[in-house]
Amino acid sequence: MLNRLIDAYTQSILVFTGINIIAAYSFFVPFKTGQVSLGQGGFMAIGAYMSAIITQKFSLPFVVALPTGGLVAAVIGAAVGFPALRIKGIYLLLLTLGFSEIVEVIILSWDYVGGAQGFRNILFNSHTLEYVVVLIVVLIIFLSRLERSSLGRAMDSIEQDETAAEVIGVDVVRIKLLAFSIGAGIAGLAGALYAHHTTYIDSTTFNIMLAVEILTFVVVGGGSTYWGPALGACVLTLLPEFLRTLRDWLELVPIAWTNFFPMNRVYDFLHEFLDFENAKRLIVYGIILMVMMIMRPDGLITRDSLQQLMPRLVEQLTEARKRIARRV
Amino acid sequence: MERDGMFLQQVINGLMLGASYSLVAIGYTLIFGVLNLLYFAHGEVFMVGAFVGLYLVILGGFDIYVALLGAMIACAAVGALAFLVAVRPVAKDRPLAPLISTIGLTIILQNLAIYIFGGQQLAFPETIGQQLYHFGPVTVSSVQLFILAVAIALMVALWLFIERTRLGRAMRAVAESHETAALLGVDVNRVVLITFILGSGIAGVAGVLDGVKNSSISPFMGLEAAVKGLIVMLLGGLGNVPGAMIAGLMLGLIEIMSAAYIGTTMRDLFSFLILILILLYRPTGLFGTRTAE
Repeated sequence: MLNRLIDAYTQSILVFTGINIIAAYSFFVPFKTGQVSLGQGGFMAIGAYMSAIITQKFSLPFVVALPTGGLVAAVIGAAVGFPALRIKGIYLLLLTLGFSEIVEVIILSWDYVGGAQGFRNILFNSHTLEYVVVLIVVLIIFLSRLERSSLGRAMDSIEQDETAAEVIGVDVVRIKLLAFSIGAGIAGLAGALYAHHTTYIDSTTFNIMLAVEILTFVVVGGGSTYWGPALGACVLTLLPEFLRTLRDWLELVPIAWTNFFPMNRVYDFLHEFLDFENAKRLIVYGIILMVMMIMRPDGLITRDSLQQLMPRLVEQLTEARKRIARRV
Repeated sequence: MERDGMFLQQVINGLMLGASYSLVAIGYTLIFGVLNLLYFAHGEVFMVGAFVGLYLVILGGFDIYVALLGAMIACAAVGALAFLVAVRPVAKDRPLAPLISTIGLTIILQNLAIYIFGGQQLAFPETIGQQLYHFGPVTVSSVQLFILAVAIALMVALWLFIERTRLGRAMRAVAESHETAALLGVDVNRVVLITFILGSGIAGVAGVLDGVKNSSISPFMGLEAAVKGLIVMLLGGLGNVPGAMIAGLMLGLIEIMSAAYIGTTMRDLFSFLILILILLYRPTGLFGTRTAE
């Protein structure tokens, strides 16, 4: 349906933005309990390879492969998350990084899925954009409900202070494990969608830089509300595309405005400067990351800024929350 | 006899590999020690060092000693700059903010290198006369000896600096506690800056040595060095400088041994399995850590 409305290039950008949003949410769910994971790339790889095996080697439809990929990633997520419960902070970061690298090495040496040659000719899913949109809507509804539920508040309390949460009777182990596993499952779904859109994946597709990028989406967007990860993923995915079009916009300036001194010099300089090839675009991207963290270390959207943006809405929400709190 | 010779040969190769891991990890652990934060751009500083060395050798026509010194100075400057633009202005109470800003710096440095030097591997010319020495069954090349000698000399010098000088003592004090050190009259900001300069300078030397060892360098060499450096830092205990030195040599040995006796693809698997086991069962590293978690 959407195929007919949007051209292929725009559609492709939208698909990648959407997959990045899903990946950002996969980081966000365990992050809500204070767990920072650099393993989301590894879970994406598991979902991607699992689903590609199902569609290619067993010739089953994508509708079956997608949830299976997510489920397998979630189960492995629980297996990784369990020993990970003992550690936190930088140690957890390094543990999940190690997990990602191990996944990469296993894929590289597993000939059944192509090994170093990569997994080729994966079934192309022409409705990836629809799947992505539906999944994002489901995730946002899930997260908005979660925020108001007792589980969501238990997660918040774990993030604030684990010991205190345990003392007031929160089942810290179960909730942290659940959050880690759900995050891994969401990452698996993102990987499955990715594999059936690009039709080719290899061990470097989901490397450690991808996990770093996912972390960046959430921190830049803001990790305190569920709008942050989506915004961060949108901004940082579309930013390089936007930089690419800047020069096209410059060329729209009428010649009559720029064919005299000093405007011709300014024009030439800008035209030269905005010739954003890949490396140059990424340099600008890096600068923006640095400036962002200096200016807004809490991310673009925080709970406070949401409150300023929509005071009425938040007022109603807190009202509702109080009502629920009284009931519980 | 034949097997013994092979084993000894692998030990030498492992130490050679490990020496460069140690040099990168020292910078990490120094910086982690004084700031308690994960500084992501260290691998790229290592890469910058390799390129500075290459250009001094090719364009300047200098010998390897000048290249090492030049890379050290250039990387020390990059490290100081990194601290001033990406670490100091960022809020300290949010642990992820400095991580992201140094990731930004990583992306900048890597793509700057791709922009200037292109995305391919560049050959690193032979700067040391290739000569083989035979000690019984073991063969050691002059290049290997040179790398090991430079690495050990640097580590000894650094250890003496930290243990015997006033500034070294100030660094240890800052690693213990910023507040207490400041109360005792230590200029904390200055000490942290010097730590960045020291760690980055050493990474620069490691970069040049890596170019000499592999005869080629590329803008992508930083990531692997960063990941291996992190493992070594952890293995040796966060903030523990002698620990990082020994752990680097150990990781080198383990990797070479597993590649020689088990299989080359298993080499990386082993280092990451070790990382995970250490994290789970001895998060303070093999030799204890200086920072409390």
